[in-house]
Amino acid sequence: MEVREFRAGVQAWIDEVGESLVPAIEDQSVETQLNHQRRVQRLLFDAGWMRWGWPARIGGLGGPPILRAILGEELTSRALVHTTSWSMHEVLGPAVAEFGRPDLVEGIFPLLLRGEEFWCQGFSEPDAGSDLGSMRTTARPGSDCWVINGEKLWTSWAHHATRCVVLARTGGPGSRGVSAFLVDMDTPGVTASPLETMAGVDEFCSTSFVDVEVPSQRLLGELEGGWRVAQFILSCERGPIFWQRGAWLAHHLGLLLDFAGGGGASALGEAYQLLWAFRATSKRTQDRIAVTGDLPGPEASVDKIMVAAADQAVFDLARDLLRGDLETDDSARSQAWRREWAYSRAATIYGGTSEVQKDIVASRLLGLPRRA
Amino acid sequence: MATTLRGLVEDLDRSELNQALDEFGFADLLAEAPRDAVSALFTALGRTGSMSTSLQDVLLQPLAEYLPMATTECNVVLPGVGAAYVGAADSEPLAVRGLVIGARSAPTYLAPVVINGELSWIGLRESSGISTRRVSGLDPALALTEVTGVDVMPDVVVAGEQAVAAWDAVATAGRLALGYQILGAVGQMIDLAVDHARSRVQFGRPIGSFQAVRNRLADAHVAREGAAAALASAWDADDTVLAGLLAKSLAGRAARIAATQCQQVLAGIGFTAEHPFHRFLARALVLDSVLGSATELPAVIGARLISAGMIPRLVEL
Repeated sequence: MEVREFRAGVQAWIDEVGESLVPAIEDQSVETQLNHQRRVQRLLFDAGWMRWGWPARIGGLGGPPILRAILGEELTSRALVHTTSWSMHEVLGPAVAEFGRPDLVEGIFPLLLRGEEFWCQGFSEPDAGSDLGSMRTTARPGSDCWVINGEKLWTSWAHHATRCVVLARTGGPGSRGVSAFLVDMDTPGVTASPLETMAGVDEFCSTSFVDVEVPSQRLLGELEGGWRVAQFILSCERGPIFWQRGAWLAHHLGLLLDFAGGGGASALGEAYQLLWAFRATSKRTQDRIAVTGDLPGPEASVDKIMVAAADQAVFDLARDLLRGDLETDDSARSQAWRREWAYSRAATIYGGTSEVQKDIVASRLLGLPRRA
Repeated sequence: MATTLRGLVEDLDRSELNQALDEFGFADLLAEAPRDAVSALFTALGRTGSMSTSLQDVLLQPLAEYLPMATTECNVVLPGVGAAYVGAADSEPLAVRGLVIGARSAPTYLAPVVINGELSWIGLRESSGISTRRVSGLDPALALTEVTGVDVMPDVVVAGEQAVAAWDAVATAGRLALGYQILGAVGQMIDLAVDHARSRVQFGRPIGSFQAVRNRLADAHVAREGAAAALASAWDADDTVLAGLLAKSLAGRAARIAATQCQQVLAGIGFTAEHPFHRFLARALVLDSVLGSATELPAVIGARLISAGMIPRLVEL
């Protein structure tokens, strides 16, 4: 499947299926958002579009992974799905496909693609955010299983998820003693407690693991190879997911065009140029991935810093141009803007803070010395 | 090719460089592979601080088909800082004011002006009553000439839709070339500051190990990368005028960020005449102000988006 042919096919399919893909604005709860996505994913799976860019052995139709970025772009640039929840299978899917036992992956991956399952990511902890290597959750050997104890934080959609990729310590301190597991969320001892964001959305959770028994074959990759899995997952956040976030931002910038007359042109131009700087840079990254097949390296930290800056610029612009709607209006439309604006505040935090990214740029791209 | 051009620009300046570029066949390369020619030469010019008359080659190339004279007879006058055109009037004669970067010895100055609301290209000669001044300004080493005239009788060379199309093409070509030159200077500013941050020791360690210093240089690097990607993508964009505006604006933005952050990192030594830093700062900031600065262009870009009523993707995966 050629890129151009795929894009044209997706666009034609969206035009044909039409209105039924558009989410209702009235109910903006996470549950409704995820149910909508399930429905869209099922339609896309049945039409085949959801399967391109994934290998045939796990339920895909093959083709280059860039096809998935194009699907994400065409959907999010029309706001047919929400970019945050649409990212989930792109963040976790490739790592589970790569590091999971083949029989496990073959069984569950089609469920993920069809929208029958949501997965979540158990990385951060109350005392391990940017310093992920200091995590305390442990996995100790049981009888033909691992027993996990600990607490994970900021696990998005954990309360709606069927499975969780959990990083837990199986060895000594630091990043080397960490292993990765795929844990079923209905295992006894797993409790996901939703936390409200500043936008009033119960999107993420505090997730506790008390004597959770995980079968041995649920280990992802090597024992104490969890850091590699984590790096792989973090690098997956850099390519197609940023690209579709860019498309989502372009969609919202488009909604603001009608409000930009009368003095808003310069601020609109500023936000657009930051978005364009990101898109042009991200395209380079994606082209490189497509050619070499490598994971994004430290250059992707530049992409992350840029997309976060564009994100906040777009929604700061919204707050200015909508003249008070964001602060004082309670219509469904303004609530949606409020929610997106609030979410943009986290753009410089999630997936590695901008400070951590700048540190990577300083050391690995500019060659500055770390503290002795 | 890029290596050869870089080598010439590193070793030579001004008339010697012009001669070497002639012998190298830069004009032919510009016609055959404009992207390679412009990116390699102007990045090198920005990196070294050398000057040539090559911007005139770049600006005149899209004009050539409309001109009644040979391009070798001409220089292009760009609008003065902050101006949209070299002159604007409701009637003749008109006042003109503009800048020529890297002027060659040629009798005719071609200038975009607006007369009665219509864009035209006019030809100016010494006999038209103009005066020329070699500009010293913030960057005395930039071969910059100011062309002014108070009561000029316009000799219209290109008019109508052709004049508009020619201006779009000339301005876009100029923005890309200047964008590369700016980024060359930005790269030099960053390298100088990074070298300093690695070697300068205070409080018993290299200052480049302090996060405040690291973040400044990372900011400069990120701004540079965004502008570089925008310049590279501009050649493939479906709206080249918009892509040129964006690339120039982002290059100017990178110039401002790098100038501020790198100078702060270089601290006292970067403020001296003896250290080379100030030359690149001046070059980048003066070029930022030509053909639309990073403070002026966002409004132009925003207005284009508003009138188009859409957010262009510009490039696809």
